[in-house]
Amino acid sequence: MTALAPLGFGPEGWGAALLLATGMTLAVSVCAFFAGLVFGTMGAAAKLSGGPVLRSVAGAYTTILRGIPDLLVIYLFYFGGSAAMTQIATWLGGSGFFGLNGFMVGVLAVGIVSGAYQTEVLRGAYSAIPRGEIEAARVAGMGPALMLRRITGPLALRTALPGMGNVWQMVLKESALISVTGLVDLMRQTEVAAGSTRLPFLFYATAACLYLVLTTISATLFRGAERSTRRGMARA
Amino acid sequence: MAFIADTLLQLLAGVPMTLELTAISVSAGAILAGVLALLTRLGGPASWIARGYIFVFRGSPLLVQIFLIYYGLGQFPAVRQSLFWPFLRQPWWCALLALSLNTAAYGAEVIRGGLLAVPKGQIEAGRVCGMSTFTLYRRVILPLALRQALPAYGNEVIIMVKSTSLASVITLMEVTGIAKGIISETFRALPVFACAAAIYLAINFTIAGAVRLLERRLGVAS
Amino acid sequence: MTEIAVAVRGLEKRYGAMPVLRGVSLEARTGEVISIIGASGSGKSTMLRCIPLLEVPEAGEVGVAGEWLRWRPKGTGRVPADKAQVAALRARLGFVFQSFNLWSHRTVLGNVIEAPVHVQGRPRAEAIEEAEVLLAKVGLGDKRDSYPAQLSGGQQQRVAIARALAMRPAALLLDEPTSALDPELVGEVLRVIRALAEEGRTMLIVTHEMGFARDVSSRAIFLHQGIIEEEGPPAQVFNDPISDRCRQFVTSHLRR
Repeated sequence: MTALAPLGFGPEGWGAALLLATGMTLAVSVCAFFAGLVFGTMGAAAKLSGGPVLRSVAGAYTTILRGIPDLLVIYLFYFGGSAAMTQIATWLGGSGFFGLNGFMVGVLAVGIVSGAYQTEVLRGAYSAIPRGEIEAARVAGMGPALMLRRITGPLALRTALPGMGNVWQMVLKESALISVTGLVDLMRQTEVAAGSTRLPFLFYATAACLYLVLTTISATLFRGAERSTRRGMARA
Repeated sequence: MAFIADTLLQLLAGVPMTLELTAISVSAGAILAGVLALLTRLGGPASWIARGYIFVFRGSPLLVQIFLIYYGLGQFPAVRQSLFWPFLRQPWWCALLALSLNTAAYGAEVIRGGLLAVPKGQIEAGRVCGMSTFTLYRRVILPLALRQALPAYGNEVIIMVKSTSLASVITLMEVTGIAKGIISETFRALPVFACAAAIYLAINFTIAGAVRLLERRLGVAS
Repeated sequence: MTEIAVAVRGLEKRYGAMPVLRGVSLEARTGEVISIIGASGSGKSTMLRCIPLLEVPEAGEVGVAGEWLRWRPKGTGRVPADKAQVAALRARLGFVFQSFNLWSHRTVLGNVIEAPVHVQGRPRAEAIEEAEVLLAKVGLGDKRDSYPAQLSGGQQQRVAIARALAMRPAALLLDEPTSALDPELVGEVLRVIRALAEEGRTMLIVTHEMGFARDVSSRAIFLHQGIIEEEGPPAQVFNDPISDRCRQFVTSHLRR
């Protein structure tokens, strides 16, 4: 048991710190996922019903953000965001250096990247709705808002859930990259612990296990959600 | 303008490393992926090990895997005294190892999907003309599965191009590493980002185009 | 005076350069059952789909229950002036599609009460009570909690009819309601439609079932290339039409 003592919860152990950092990883991932959902909804709406300008903006967004490394986007927001904030502060008459905090950078960067994937998931799901079911809603006298809430929304969600589950898994794993901004998430806390105890294998292996727990639990939750929205679907 | 040109030149110097990391890890990963995919079909302990491998490497972040190999392995004296140590102490080999092991897990899932998508009728057609299981795999199942898997494997290659950027976290100066260096010196994040992004997009468009060409040559229905 | 349930006047519709409707006018009085026949491409389905504005006619008027739809010019064409009026007009019609188009994420009961509750704003309990009566009427009282994918085509189409009736429509529009069904399932749907005709529902039916159309309708219309070529009581249209084209069409289809 002594080999695992550094992972304990006593004053000498890193257990509590790692659990806290796991909470931070979850928090930043959840926020980034929902930010991505917002970007993805806008992107899908633009691709589905925007004019030529909006459509090409959305097209460029998904092509570029899916074609470049996430780490690059994080650096852009981390360094660029701070520069922009400092610039704005100068214009407003302030002085000095203003940094964006790691949490905001992470949520924005991972949110924007996952939004590009989410755009495709949502657009695909909406396009997969049988035209006839939309027509049936129109002849029933439904307006756009009611139709989205009662018919197209639930139908698209059902098709989108597996894809959204994949995006969530991606967000959870990409969130480790946010540690480069100094945000004390699971990855960063592990680096600190590994460095100060000189037990890197033990701590990185522990981190890998904690990430596996997170991805496994959330995969189970998504499968449950899929099952419950799948009621009544034709079984293949 | 001069800054952009200068930045581009500096970044282009990192392209060979990005491409090498991608090419070597995708090749090595593909071989391992093929083995893993076949093992999952065997059943028994072999398939459990393969599934466990795929589960672990797909379920945890690549960055953790890189650190585990680069920093973690050195914790053990046995590793430090082994004949692998001259390699495992170098970031280049550690990055390659981590990237290869990682892409193998994703690639195995892609190939497994391709194997599952082989139409039963075509396997039966092979059986009725007397093919042995080995011949059947070599002549019918694998060629068909690889065709099915090609589009998804193309995506995996593009993901790997992006993943090589993580090598910069363990000091390798590929495109992202150089970009980060320039940004933290000049604080001109946006133009540097734009140059680096353009390079990655150019690489990925080329790969996507090549995969499409290959698909057409092999007659993959799209 | 007999009330006019549905009316169209001078409908014109083209797909690209191809004219599909070239001035179709029709009035359905309350209680009438009008069957619309014609070769494929004659415009009969398009005409029916123009009534709830699933297709927007370039010219001509559409009216339901005595109210004409208002238009406003847009560009070189026109659009409905008031979206709320379109929704209100649609809510006064029941439409049955060739391919059923039941909402796959809702149960049979959910499909039937969806529009009454969420479009017409009727109390849920009342809608359920009425839906159960309608489902019993189409012979599916025991299927209220099934999902569409669990039903046969004939059953799905009967649910679709119940769903349309639940709107308490001024008229029921049926667009080839049996064309997507396997032959052995056609009968159960036709029986339901026949029963509706007998209780005096106002219906417009686009159909290829000539024998059925002759039996149930009070009036029949033969469309040819976007124009009403023959119109009259079924005895005339099916047995003794004035138009040669109609005679040819009817004899070739009745014989089958």
